[in-house]
Amino acid sequence: MKKVITGNQAVAYGVILSRVEVVSAYPITPQTTIVEELSELIANGRLNTRFLKVESEHSAMAALIGASTVGVRCFTATSSHGLAYMHEMLHWASGARLPIVMVNVNRAIGPPWNIWSDQSDSLSQRDTGWIQLYCENNQEVLDTILQAYRIAEIVRLPVMVVLDAFVLSHTSEPVDIPSMEEVDRFLPPFCPSYPFEPEEPKAYSVITTPEYFFEFRYKIQKAMEEVSEVSRKVEDEFYVHFKRRYGAIERYGGEKADLLLLTSGTVTSTSRLVVKKLIEQGINVAGVKIKRFRPFPAKEISEAIKGAEKLAVIDRNLSPGVGGIFAQELRAALYPGEEKPVIFGFISGLGGRDITPELIEEAIHYALSHSQPEEEILWLGLKK
Amino acid sequence: MTKRMTFKSVSEMPEIPISMGFMDWNKTGTWRAQRPYYVDKTPPCSASCPVGNDIVSFIQKIAEEDLEGAWRVLREENPLPGVCGRVCFHPCESRCNRSFLDEPVAIHALERFVADDMELRKEKVKREIEKAKEKVAIIGSGPAGLSCAYHLARFHYPVTVFESFSLPGGMLRMGIPPYRLPREVLEREISLIESMGVEIRTGVTLGQNLDWEELKSFSAIFMATGAHLSRALGIPGEKRRGVFQGLEFLKKINSGKKVTLGERIGIIGGGNTAIDVARSVLRLGKKAIILYRRSKEEMPAFEEEISEALEEGVKIRYLVSPIQIHSRNGLKRVECLRMKLGEKDETGRRKPIPIPNSNFFIEVDSLIIAAGEEIEFSFFPKGWERREGILLTQRDGSIGVKGLFAGGDLTSLQRTVAHAIGSGKRAALAIDCYFKGRDSEETLRQILIGEGPSISIFRYLHPDERPMDSHIVRFEELNMDYFEQARRQKESKLPPKVRIKDFREVTSTLPSSLAIEEAGRCFSCGTCNGCETCYVFCPDASILKREGVFLREVDYEFCKGCGICFTECPRGAITLKEEAK
Repeated sequence: MKKVITGNQAVAYGVILSRVEVVSAYPITPQTTIVEELSELIANGRLNTRFLKVESEHSAMAALIGASTVGVRCFTATSSHGLAYMHEMLHWASGARLPIVMVNVNRAIGPPWNIWSDQSDSLSQRDTGWIQLYCENNQEVLDTILQAYRIAEIVRLPVMVVLDAFVLSHTSEPVDIPSMEEVDRFLPPFCPSYPFEPEEPKAYSVITTPEYFFEFRYKIQKAMEEVSEVSRKVEDEFYVHFKRRYGAIERYGGEKADLLLLTSGTVTSTSRLVVKKLIEQGINVAGVKIKRFRPFPAKEISEAIKGAEKLAVIDRNLSPGVGGIFAQELRAALYPGEEKPVIFGFISGLGGRDITPELIEEAIHYALSHSQPEEEILWLGLKK
Repeated sequence: MTKRMTFKSVSEMPEIPISMGFMDWNKTGTWRAQRPYYVDKTPPCSASCPVGNDIVSFIQKIAEEDLEGAWRVLREENPLPGVCGRVCFHPCESRCNRSFLDEPVAIHALERFVADDMELRKEKVKREIEKAKEKVAIIGSGPAGLSCAYHLARFHYPVTVFESFSLPGGMLRMGIPPYRLPREVLEREISLIESMGVEIRTGVTLGQNLDWEELKSFSAIFMATGAHLSRALGIPGEKRRGVFQGLEFLKKINSGKKVTLGERIGIIGGGNTAIDVARSVLRLGKKAIILYRRSKEEMPAFEEEISEALEEGVKIRYLVSPIQIHSRNGLKRVECLRMKLGEKDETGRRKPIPIPNSNFFIEVDSLIIAAGEEIEFSFFPKGWERREGILLTQRDGSIGVKGLFAGGDLTSLQRTVAHAIGSGKRAALAIDCYFKGRDSEETLRQILIGEGPSISIFRYLHPDERPMDSHIVRFEELNMDYFEQARRQKESKLPPKVRIKDFREVTSTLPSSLAIEEAGRCFSCGTCNGCETCYVFCPDASILKREGVFLREVDYEFCKGCGICFTECPRGAITLKEEAK
C-alpha cells in the first residue's frame, strides 16, 4: 500500500510492522512526531505495546536495556542533545550486546541553539559500539528499520537508524508500506541469547576483571566485522520479499569516472541530480552514497573507487581540529590499500543550511580543476 | 554452591559476562551505609481527629472492600461512627494532605458509609462486662458519657449511665435536629453500646432523684453533664413572653413538643445552635432571620451548615447587635445597633464595635436567643475548681478528687461531638489506670496520636500491633509521581425546597461504588498499604516476600542501602537512617 507520509511517520510504520513490544522515549524536536505517532497508536490500543514514560533520554535507553535484556523487541527515537544525554547508556546497550534499534533524527548540537539538520549528534557517538545507518529517503527509512532489527538480532549489536531533520523527518513522500504478513515473513520474533528466567537467576553484565574484560571487547569488534556479510544476506532476503535493496554503499553515475563524489543522507539525492546533469554535459563523474557509517564499509568503498583519481567528500558535520568525519574515516580506510586517490574534504550545510545543487557543482568543479586541495578543509558555502 | 568459571580462550567465553548461577555469595549488605526500615507514621487526619480515629486504616479496608474490617477499625476508637460521619466538623479533612493535590478525601462520608453499611448487616455485639469488676457511674448520656461507657465496657467494667431526660443521647438528641442526625442512627448506635452490657438509666437527675450518697456504691464516677444553660444577652426585654432560649427551643421540638411561634422568627447568634434553630424554624413553616454581630467570616457555625441554611432560605443579617427588645401586642421590635469590625480578639476573630447612633428596629413575631451555652454548676459540690465557665481537669479527665473524672462540654470550650467522644475515651483509660494503680499520664503519653491530645485505645489494648511513630506526615514527604488528580465524591443532598417540608435527613449516604472509589483517593500518608512499589524498585531484590506475601521487611544481608525504596515509597512509610559506624 502506497501512502504519502513524512520520514517520522515512516519510522512509526517501521516500528509497528516490526512488532515492537516496548517503546520508551522522551520528546525532542525534530523527533517528536515519531513519539507522538507511536504513543497515540499505543494509547488507542492499536498496538500491543507498552509505552514507558520517562524523564530523560538516559532513562529511555536504560528502560530499553532492561526490556531488551529480558527478551523484548524495543525501540526509541531521539535527536541531538537527547542523544548526547543517552551517551552512557549507548555504551551499555552495545557492551551488553542488546539488539536495540533506535532512530536518531540528525540535528545540530548547541550552542548556538539550532534544530536543523547536521550529523554532528550521531557522529559524536561513533565509538559507542552502535551500528549506524544513514537514510536518503522515507522509503529507505521504513525499510532500514525492518532490516535493522534483523541485523541487530543476528549480530547482537544495537543499531542507530539516522535520518535528516526536516528534510526527511517532516517532509512527505510516497512510501510503499508493506503488509504485516509480508514483514512477519521477513522478520522472525526476537529470541534473546540469554533468556531471562526467574527460576534460574543470573546476573547480567556483572563486574569483569582485567582477566576477561579485554576478550569481551574483542568479541564486540568481531561482531562488528560480521555486519557486512550479515547485512548483505539480510538485504538479499529483504529483496526477495520487497524488491528493494540499498547496500552499505551505492555507486551511481559514470562507469569509469576519474572523480567520485561521496555523500551520505539526503545530500545524496541532490548529488544524483548534479551528477546526472554533469554527465549530460560530458563530464565523467560518478557518485557514491555511504549508507553505513559503522562499521565503516572500507572494503566496499575500496571496491567502488577503483580507478578513480580524485574523491570529493561532502561532510555535513565537523570534528573541530580535524574536519569532516566521513573524509577522515575514508582516509583511514584507504590508507592500507594500493589505490591512493586525492581526497577533497568539503564541509557544507552545518546547522541545516541548504546544500544546493549549485554548491555540489561548485565542489565537483573545484576538484576537477585542482590536482590537490589547497586546504585540508574546503568550506563549501561559507560566507567569506 | 557457586563455582567460579575459568576460560582458556576467547572462543569459550559467552557474549557477555553473566553469572550462570546464584549470586547469594555476594553479601552486598556489607556495603550499606544507611538502613531503610518500615515504620508507620502519623497521618495528619488522625492527628487532628479529636476522637482519635484510625482514619487511614479504615479507609484502606474500604478500598479493599472489607467493610466489616473497616467497621471494626472504626469501633476500636469510636462507638458513634454513624453520628460522627454526619455531624462532626471533620478537622481531619481540613488537614488532609490530598488537598494539596486536589481536594481532601471525603472522610466523613466514608465513616458514615461504613456505619450505615453495618446497619444493613445487623451485626451482633458481644456482651463484654464482667460483674466482678469495679463498678463505674457515668452522669450524662451524651457523646462523652457514651464514649466513656463504651470503652469501659470494652475493659469489662460494669457501667451504669444516668440520664436526666427520658431518652439517652444528651445533646445528640436534644441539640441536633433530626434532619442532620436521624433518630434511628443515634438509637442504633446507643443500642449497640447497651448490648455490650452498659446499663442506661433515664429520667434520673443528679441533685433531684439521684444524690451523691447513692453514687458511693460506685468505685469511680465520670461526670459528663454538658452545657445546657442558654447564655443570656443581658439586654432589657429578653425575659419577655415570646422570647425563647435557643437550646430550650431545640430540646422542645426535638422531643416532639409543640412550640407556639409567630410567622417571622428572629434568631440572635452565629453559632451552630443559631443555625440549627433557624433551619428548624423553616421546617415548621416559618421565616427565619439570623442577627449576628460580626460578619460571615467570624461565624463560629460550621461553614457547610451556614451554606445549607442559606440555600434553604434562612436570612442572615450581619454586623447587627440587639440592645433592647420591645414588645407590643405579641410583636417584637428588636432595637439594634450597627457594628463594624475592629482588631482581632483572643479567639482570632475580628471584634465587633458598635457604631454610635446607628440604632434601628427589626420587627419579628418571635425571638430566639442562641448566643451560646453555659454550664449548670448548681448541683456540684463546692470546691470543684472551675475557670472561664468550665470545670478544670487534668489531661486524663481527673478533677483532683479520688475516683472522680469529668469530660465533654462540662470541661471544654471546644464543644463538639468529637471533642466530647475524645474526652470520654481519655477518662475511660484514666479510670482503668486508676483501678489498676497505673500512672495514667504516663500511659496516656504512650498512646497519644501524634502530639495528642487524642489517644489510641487500640494501641492501649494491643501494644505490639500497628505501632505508629508520632511524626506527622507532611505533603512534601509523599511521592506525587504515584497519584493523579481525582474528583472528591460528594454525598447527594435533597433539593432545598424538599428539605424544608419536614425534618427528614438532608444528606444521603454514598453508594458503595462511589465510597470505594473515594477510599482509593486516600494517600495513606505514612502508612504502608502493601502497594509493593518498594518491592518492584529494589535493585537488590531485598524487599522480602514469603510465599507471595509481602512482609514489610528488608533483607539486610543484601540491602545496599541505596534508598530507592525510601525515595519511591508513595506514602513515606519507609524511613532511612544512617548505619551506626
